[in-house]
Amino acid sequence: MGSRALLMLTNFNFKATVSSFGSASNPFFLIKNNLRIRNFSTKTRSSLQPPDLPGLAETARISLAPNEVEEFAPKIGQVIDWFGQLQAVDLDNVEPAIRADTEGDNLREDVPQTFENKEALIASVPSYEEPYIKVPKVLNKE
Amino acid sequence: MLSTIQPPRYLSRFPLRGRTKSRSFHILSSAQPVTKTCFAADQSQILSIRDSLLNRHLSAVELTHSYLDRLKQTEPHINCFLHVSDPDKVLKQAQDIDDKIKRNEEVGPLAGVLVAIKDNICTADMPSTGGSYILEGYRPPFDATAVKRLKDLGAIVVGKTNLDEFGMGSTTEASAFKVTANPWDLSRVPGGSSGGSAASVSARQCVVSLGSDTGGSVRQPASFCGVVGLKPTYGRVSRFGLMAYASSLDVIGCFGSSVADTGILLHAISGHDSLDATSSKREVPDFTSQFTYASSLKSRPLEGLRVGLIRETVDAGVDSGVKSAIEGAAAHLEQLGCVLKEVSLLSFSLGLPAYYILASSESSSNLSRYDGVRYGNQASSDELNALYEESRAKGFGSEVKMRILMGTYALSAGYYDAYYKRAQQVRTIIRKSFKAALDENDILISPAAPSAAYKIGEKKNDPLAMYAGDIMTVNVNLAGLPALVLPCGFVEGGAVGLPVGLQIIGAAFDEEKLVKVGHIFEQTLEGYNFVPPLVTDVGGASPEL
Repeated sequence: MGSRALLMLTNFNFKATVSSFGSASNPFFLIKNNLRIRNFSTKTRSSLQPPDLPGLAETARISLAPNEVEEFAPKIGQVIDWFGQLQAVDLDNVEPAIRADTEGDNLREDVPQTFENKEALIASVPSYEEPYIKVPKVLNKE
Repeated sequence: MLSTIQPPRYLSRFPLRGRTKSRSFHILSSAQPVTKTCFAADQSQILSIRDSLLNRHLSAVELTHSYLDRLKQTEPHINCFLHVSDPDKVLKQAQDIDDKIKRNEEVGPLAGVLVAIKDNICTADMPSTGGSYILEGYRPPFDATAVKRLKDLGAIVVGKTNLDEFGMGSTTEASAFKVTANPWDLSRVPGGSSGGSAASVSARQCVVSLGSDTGGSVRQPASFCGVVGLKPTYGRVSRFGLMAYASSLDVIGCFGSSVADTGILLHAISGHDSLDATSSKREVPDFTSQFTYASSLKSRPLEGLRVGLIRETVDAGVDSGVKSAIEGAAAHLEQLGCVLKEVSLLSFSLGLPAYYILASSESSSNLSRYDGVRYGNQASSDELNALYEESRAKGFGSEVKMRILMGTYALSAGYYDAYYKRAQQVRTIIRKSFKAALDENDILISPAAPSAAYKIGEKKNDPLAMYAGDIMTVNVNLAGLPALVLPCGFVEGGAVGLPVGLQIIGAAFDEEKLVKVGHIFEQTLEGYNFVPPLVTDVGGASPEL
């Protein structure tokens, strides 16, 4: 259904030729004539090291079975390559946005409040030995 | 040239059986000021229910029985729910409402309204699994703020709906427990990740439902299931109690069978919450104050409204049936008086990889709390790291694991600048381009998805193909803007056609305009019936009162 066509890379470094749509007061760019499609391929190669799945799994504290490594590696590789297209975009002088910035400053007073339903909190703990949440020992791996 | 795949069967949206439309009704003073509007109650199920209950035409118990019966009959076909409330408890709540009404006591504006809640939104008295084995059986010790507000206004929670695990997916196929089917064609997906919530409203198993939208998870299933989906501005609704997927993108959204219902629901859950540092202190206007009768509308009620159709969303890669439905919707808007033009958003296609980088990265951090120690399923192990690794390996599904790994990669030392930081910069560009477009236009329109509902299993093994389906929706999350999706036509498929939704995007906090425009569009759209045949096929009570 042509869904791959939607992943095409556009050339972001076009010259700001204003091909204005409508009245002169409209600062809108109609980029139809200036758009150069770089390529339709989704196989943009990232210039960085490909993901080391077992290493990532250790960092993320998820144990992966060998068949999972085999199954995930190509899919993850494909997606990371696809992420790589952002490296081709000219982003000099663009501030990174942590979030959409629609909501403003809404911190509350740093005053502790009692949470009433403590029994339910404790009841959720899989391994509880009053008053401790019980976990196995920690082994320092080399 | 409205898409006329489906022959018009009914003229009115809600076939009223032998009941006169009440033109005006008294609203008892209630917790929330729902405006005394002068439009027909049949434009909103919620107001119609309120009218019937207060005028004693119907009891809450009768209404509840009707919905529960339909739920029971349709559920084996569509599998929307992970947990259905105990019917006795639900009927008891309905009985309490009836008793209060008999005693002429106040009842909340949502009294008797049956609502379904997506299972990644915490509800204290029933399980909340997030669609994951790692939280199987988990009962949160608190209600999400949005749920608490609904309950305070008298709504009855009928159950928790199915979703892709932790919101990661577009079909519900990534749920640990079951796959939900689209009520329009049981071999197709309902969309995702809020597929259960959308399908449940579509099948009239409940009146309205809550979902969550991080990259389109309310809007795309609304389009696939032929219901209305409303995504609020980031910060409009408290995220407290919503299991975090991507904290800078997540919002709780509303589903309804009409624009009015989603507006009323959104109003009920909106507003500042001290428990969510990203929730806005802005005033919440009464979204329903803009509603008018279809019959009392002027001939061009939206005269002068500037509408921008996003060019990149009707380009190559979009189903021709969807394009034609959107063009039909655009023509309809022009008939209503809108000034339509094409708008080009330069950075549009960058939004998709930027979104997936940001979402994977944030999810890798947010999901690190699921370690089997304080809640959820715990694997047995004699060493702590192994406990984490095994609990997570057993508890998480494949899609979640892959996204965590991708996010871990994108955030790793040495790669952060190349991926995460660049994605954040792209977010700035997208925010600015939408802002510029919305300075020149009142609203922007586009499809909600490049196609109608596809077959179950079709995209399961191709992540990029599935991600590509989010192209219409992710940019709106990156920009934090509100958007409404409402059904506007059909494409071929299934028994009677598959619904297609029109997405209307507004400026930040301008949900009022979206609801106003959507309501007028919906009320003047003729010749379509957006009730799936499944609902009438199972027989029993009419879906409406």
